[in-house]
Amino acid sequence: MDYCVITFSSTNGAIQAQKDLKGQLPFQIMPVLREISRGCGISVRFAPEHLEQARSILAGSGLDAGEYAFYGISGHGPALQAQPLDQAG
Amino acid sequence: MSRIIDAKGKACPMPVIMAKEAITAGEESFTVLVDNTTAVGNLQRLAGNQGYDAAVTEDNGVYSLSFTKNGQAPCEAPAAAPAAPAGAGYAVFVGRDIIGSGDRELGTNLMRMFFYTLAQSDDLPRSILFMNAGVKLPAGDEQVVEHLKVLMEKGVEVLVCGTCLNFYGIADRLGAGTVSNMYDILSQMQAASKVITL
Repeated sequence: MDYCVITFSSTNGAIQAQKDLKGQLPFQIMPVLREISRGCGISVRFAPEHLEQARSILAGSGLDAGEYAFYGISGHGPALQAQPLDQAG
Repeated sequence: MSRIIDAKGKACPMPVIMAKEAITAGEESFTVLVDNTTAVGNLQRLAGNQGYDAAVTEDNGVYSLSFTKNGQAPCEAPAAAPAAPAGAGYAVFVGRDIIGSGDRELGTNLMRMFFYTLAQSDDLPRSILFMNAGVKLPAGDEQVVEHLKVLMEKGVEVLVCGTCLNFYGIADRLGAGTVSNMYDILSQMQAASKVITL
């Protein structure tokens, strides 16, 4: 896995999540990858080592679990793979 | 024979305008006096673009640039040429700190994602030009600064209006790009086959 992204079911959710994550872990925002292409256009990118921290911050935020989803991204270009990361993973 | 142009105390872009006038008048050797390093950098770039050597000496905070025509053809292209292949390429002009009008927070997110996507793109601009509130991005937005560093490593020239940085009082916060002036920014627009304005 090269990096993780979080997608959101609404733009407001994506903006709210940035406020919750700011100062807690390093992240960038990016357009939702075409390979995922669902939900709102804003996603949050961060390093895999921060996955559990990001999960716990969002779990304690005002967002419902159904309003966001985690993916693990490997490779780039045509070889890019986006793997949904469920809570168990 | 060699004229001395006193541009001490003149704000950007006056020293460059005064030197450019001498070049346009065909003067092959002249000296420009300035009192700040931003002007020194701007004048050195002007010299490079116009086929002049510019030796710098400093005395008590006054910089003396001695312009001498070096016989090389004027070259508009910067030494670090953009990665784009031959051809004029395109320039991106950023005159504001958000994309579009409407919600500021959404516009900030869109701007960050624009630069993320541009930094990952194979079709890079030859230059990115920041003016007015646009200068708040290279001088304040950490995510945009990171993307600009990637773009600069790939050969994209990033020019930031010095007058604008001074106006907003954020010149000391510039995280990426070169402090520039209307001459260089206009030259980049004129040399590009198209300009994308944000």
